[in-house]
Amino acid sequence: MKKEKTEELYVKWVDGLLTPEEESELALLMKQDPSLEPDLHQSRMVSQTIQDSILDSVEPPYGDFFNSQLMRKVELEIASKAPSKKAARWWQSLRWAWAPAGGLALVLAFFAGHRMARPSTSELVDSVSRAQPDLVSVYVTSNQLAASVIADGDGAVSAIAIEGLEDLEDDLELAINTEQKEEGLEGLPVSYLRSRAHQFQ
Amino acid sequence: MNFLRWGTSKMLMAPAEGSAHAGSSDQEVSDHQLIEACQNGETRAFETLVTRHRGKVYAMIQNMIKNEADAWDLSQEVFLKVWKALPKFEARAQFSTWLYRVTHNVVYDWLRKKKLDSSGELEDSLLKPSEIAAGATTTPSSVVRPDEALMNNELGVKIRKALKTLNAEHRETILLREVQGFDYKEIAQIMNCSLGTVMSRLYYARKKLQTLLSDEKGKD
Repeated sequence: MKKEKTEELYVKWVDGLLTPEEESELALLMKQDPSLEPDLHQSRMVSQTIQDSILDSVEPPYGDFFNSQLMRKVELEIASKAPSKKAARWWQSLRWAWAPAGGLALVLAFFAGHRMARPSTSELVDSVSRAQPDLVSVYVTSNQLAASVIADGDGAVSAIAIEGLEDLEDDLELAINTEQKEEGLEGLPVSYLRSRAHQFQ
Repeated sequence: MNFLRWGTSKMLMAPAEGSAHAGSSDQEVSDHQLIEACQNGETRAFETLVTRHRGKVYAMIQNMIKNEADAWDLSQEVFLKVWKALPKFEARAQFSTWLYRVTHNVVYDWLRKKKLDSSGELEDSLLKPSEIAAGATTTPSSVVRPDEALMNNELGVKIRKALKTLNAEHRETILLREVQGFDYKEIAQIMNCSLGTVMSRLYYARKKLQTLLSDEKGKD
């Protein structure tokens, strides 16, 4: 028999909690070892002595003081929790608005980001849809513009050299208006104009 | 619910003071009714619950650590923890088992703070009377209480001396079984161990006590 099982049998015998099957198992063990029974009897006596000698309940000294001290701590505990509870309630009352507010913020952020990221496109679309006859942007030279004329001796051939011109910007639309006038695009749908604008871009 | 609150409040008006088992109206209210009232924030109900159980908790702690002053403080700690944890307490659980589980944790935390040996076994030298601080006894002993009279009898002294030599786990198992009368399953729950461990601890603790007490007899 396993050691754990025999220990359990001994413990249960001392406590008087053996089942009939366990009793027969223990009887077998007692037959094999004659010293077991007196040993268990002695163990039962010790158990009984402990039960008789040690009290299960002993009032703490100064029982009233014990309670008053404890209740003071409890009151402090309650007081320390009270403000945080109120705060929780305040936040809880606004919880219903968190989701719509968050959603609205997301939509606004999306549109703001979209406008900042592609200003030229929107300008282009606006200009095309309104079919303005003017230039989209104006070209201005820098202050250091200088021009010089180079000519041969008899004046048959001459060249003009210009220095200090700024680079042309990518979104400078010089062709739209002229095209519109030249090709007679006035009155065409905006989508068509937009696709043409993209082509030129 | 309101009826219950009203009922418990009415019944709790009188008995808060007095001994643990004294008030008859106190006993009319079950632990679970009191707990329900506590969960609704009634501190008066909690005081009744404390008065009802403080003796057992104090006795258990005192038998574990053998120092009245610390036992008093630790009992306070136990009940404060109980108050904090009461909102989570489920009615289907046995209150006494839960209370002793809290007591077990508080005592072991205290013992751990007082330095454990490296193997995890609790150092029994902590429990030697010579190691206990001078003046630790807080009770004025001009009048000997009945429980003290019983504790001071010869056999009681021998038993307590023998109990001191056990390690904390064995001592607690013996106290929970022999003194507090918990069954094996409840002891396993309180001590957070298996049923087999409880059986083994009980077996070895009894065996050791038997040997110690027979040695004492031999000396006499």
